Amino acid sequence: MLYRCISRLRLILVVVVALATLGSGGCAASKWTVRPHQRELLADRIMQLDAEPQERAAEDHILSNREGAVGGNGTSGGGCGCN
Amino acid sequence: MRLQLRFVAPPLLLVTALAAGPARAAENPTQASLRLTYFGEPSNDDAPVRVIHPQVDVSAPVGGGVGVAAGWEADAVSGATPAIFGPHTGVDAVTGATHFSDFRQQVHGGLSYDRADGGISASYAYGWEHDYRSHSLSATTHDDLYDHNFTLALSYSHNWDSVCDANNDAAPGLLELQPLTSSQHCFTSSPDVVTRRLRIDAIEPSLSWTMTPRLVVQGGGTIEILDGFQSNPYRRVKIGPEGAIPQEHEPDYRQRYAVFGRAAYAYPQWRASAQVMGRLYQDSWAVQAVTGDLLVNKYLGQSMLLTLRGRYHLQGGASFYRNGQEYVTLGPPGQYWTGDRELSPMSNTLVGGRMAFLRRPQQERSSWFVEMEADIKYEFLMYHLESVNAPNSDRPYAHILQGAFSVRF
Repeated sequence: MLYRCISRLRLILVVVVALATLGSGGCAASKWTVRPHQRELLADRIMQLDAEPQERAAEDHILSNREGAVGGNGTSGGGCGCN
Repeated sequence: MRLQLRFVAPPLLLVTALAAGPARAAENPTQASLRLTYFGEPSNDDAPVRVIHPQVDVSAPVGGGVGVAAGWEADAVSGATPAIFGPHTGVDAVTGATHFSDFRQQVHGGLSYDRADGGISASYAYGWEHDYRSHSLSATTHDDLYDHNFTLALSYSHNWDSVCDANNDAAPGLLELQPLTSSQHCFTSSPDVVTRRLRIDAIEPSLSWTMTPRLVVQGGGTIEILDGFQSNPYRRVKIGPEGAIPQEHEPDYRQRYAVFGRAAYAYPQWRASAQVMGRLYQDSWAVQAVTGDLLVNKYLGQSMLLTLRGRYHLQGGASFYRNGQEYVTLGPPGQYWTGDRELSPMSNTLVGGRMAFLRRPQQERSSWFVEMEADIKYEFLMYHLESVNAPNSDRPYAHILQGAFSVRF
């Protein structure tokens, strides 16, 4: 039980450090900001990384039952791993 | 009989997706979506596995930046699968399959609060079938930084799952574990079954960056911890030359890690875009995987959107996995054994396309809707297994057909 608690704390620490690193990277990159009037293309649905969340939920539901890997693309949860 | 099913947390996925778009609208409109997915996996030996998966989702703003969402989905599953995992050929071959059918449902609901530069969402889901019940709570927060050029999102979910299993309290050893033969007595006080728990925690940070007027990139990761019963209670595995066939036995604890990167690039001269995704995965069962995905979107005329897709996934097997012949001739590598295809070394390739028909009124004020959309999609999934004695080697490919209709108003 203690080992599991330590493992979880270690994972949380890794996440916090990763987020802090990513945040500081954002400061350095601010000179490359895209202005509002330059966002016409970005507003189009074909530029949305998650334009169809319902479709992606259905796909993740299928693939998570047929691959050993999950996560890394918005999926969460788990289950019995049947069949 | 519970097969082919795995509970995921669609509410978390939905709110995460809404949070991740750096160019999303300030106020999401009311939206209703209906989707129907057919999954068919033909077998060379027996009946195909078929899954029909309807989904209904509605979401609406209620004022002050607050929104509500609710949905329902189901799985109607039928087919045939071997109850015993063993060699597919040779003198030790296991033949015969068990026919099954099941129906699983899930309902979910959630609340969200959005500001101009961020927001927070929470949702709850309950799923149930004859031999599996799942409660899931999830929460997501997202913040836009540096003039909306960055979006930092963090999602967390927790599952309280209950799994029906055969009562093996009297089993003298692991090789005498008996499988669950029926879900008839599940979640009752019947002495032949027990309810096992499974707890799942998942956390997913991500950072999106609008790099240029044409390019959006996103990176992030997932940490998932599963603690509890994760075997298929119905499956048996043929072990050793003496032919013992105990219930599948997988470890109770699993840590899963994934990191990913995604990018979308616009080609305005062609009214098109390309999206790429790469993912690396590893877990405490020694499964390692790499996944690549490519999408190309192209508008055709004023109201049609064509999407073509290719995806490749490659993975190694779990540390306790062996194919059906190796389990018989060598025995298991330790105290665990499995007949699960997703724990075997394999790869798969998915190719397909989708056509969306979009309808927007020329003058929004004169119409009751903002946008209507009808989609149809077909994808072909090919499995590449390492051996004819790998799990489900009789089912080398699958078809995925999907239709959807949504309206925003």
